[in-house]
Amino acid sequence: MVFEDIYREYWNKVFRICMGYVNDADLAKDIAQEIFIIIWKKLPTFRNESAIGTWIYRIASNNCLRQIERQSRMPKTELPEQIEDISEPDKEWQSKFLYKCIAELPETDRIIISLELEDVKQAEIAKITGLSESNVRVKIYRIKEKLTQKFKQYEQ
Amino acid sequence: MSNNIDFKELWNRGKANAPDVSEIFAKANQLNRKTRNKIWRGNIILSLTIIFMIYIWWHYQPELITTKIGLTLVILAIIFFLISTNQMFPLLAKTDEETDSHQFLEQMLRIKQKQEFINNQMLSAYFIFLSIGIFLYMIEYAGRGSLLFKILAYGITFAWMAFNWFYVRVKAAKKQRQAVNEIISRLEVVNQQLLE
Repeated sequence: MVFEDIYREYWNKVFRICMGYVNDADLAKDIAQEIFIIIWKKLPTFRNESAIGTWIYRIASNNCLRQIERQSRMPKTELPEQIEDISEPDKEWQSKFLYKCIAELPETDRIIISLELEDVKQAEIAKITGLSESNVRVKIYRIKEKLTQKFKQYEQ
Repeated sequence: MSNNIDFKELWNRGKANAPDVSEIFAKANQLNRKTRNKIWRGNIILSLTIIFMIYIWWHYQPELITTKIGLTLVILAIIFFLISTNQMFPLLAKTDEETDSHQFLEQMLRIKQKQEFINNQMLSAYFIFLSIGIFLYMIEYAGRGSLLFKILAYGITFAWMAFNWFYVRVKAAKKQRQAVNEIISRLEVVNQQLLE
């Protein structure tokens, strides 16, 4: 596979995973770029042992986790304040709220739910994170419950 | 809002314009250059120090064996320092990003622990070699002075060494340990999340 094609196909997917992890568009862009640099460097040695998607998501997840050694606190600033008063929040705002909620989850949960929302199969998520499939299923269920709760809480 | 929030739809709204591919390539090159410069800068400065000391050796032609041993030890201390710092780079670059998250976190933990070990060992070895080296080096030149001069020379030098050993070294080690330990404990917390 040619790097340019991968880049076009996966840029937004990788960006969203980073965004779910840090909830800061600029930082997410930087991390996404770093991830593509690694993909570009390692692509020649990629053997088709796993699907290319799994391989890319592994690199992406691990590089998000690498942020642990770079900063102690995550900036979670991207939520416009005035909009919070609107009684019927629009989709754009809900989307921002979703990213904020995800970035507040424990680190590994952020990655698991991001991959799930990216339509990655649970078996693949298990391979990416190193968890068992049943464990992934349970975790996704719990995380979704938590997110729903947050959305509901906010509505009240 | 209904009970069924379509998270996927909300999720997919997150988009960012992809920078041009050439920007990725440029950034990759820039990153390479930065790492290389960093390694070079440290090596050049310390190598110059070694050259300077060899020059002293050659220029002043010390007579006593202690002076020669002293100089050798100081040079060894610097070489030791260089080797251990240079060793860090390949060690840090060796992370395997293609593995799963669990393995990756364990790998990062191992690296950090190793880093802490190297930091400690290197710092102690560096100080020991340097102190003994300076002590031996001084014998020849201090020996030429009066008793008072000898006492003063050694007194001041040892006070200086003691200050470095008990204060500077301890403080530097503590600072490094704190930084690394903080990362280690954060990594442990995150790794624990996967085991729950």
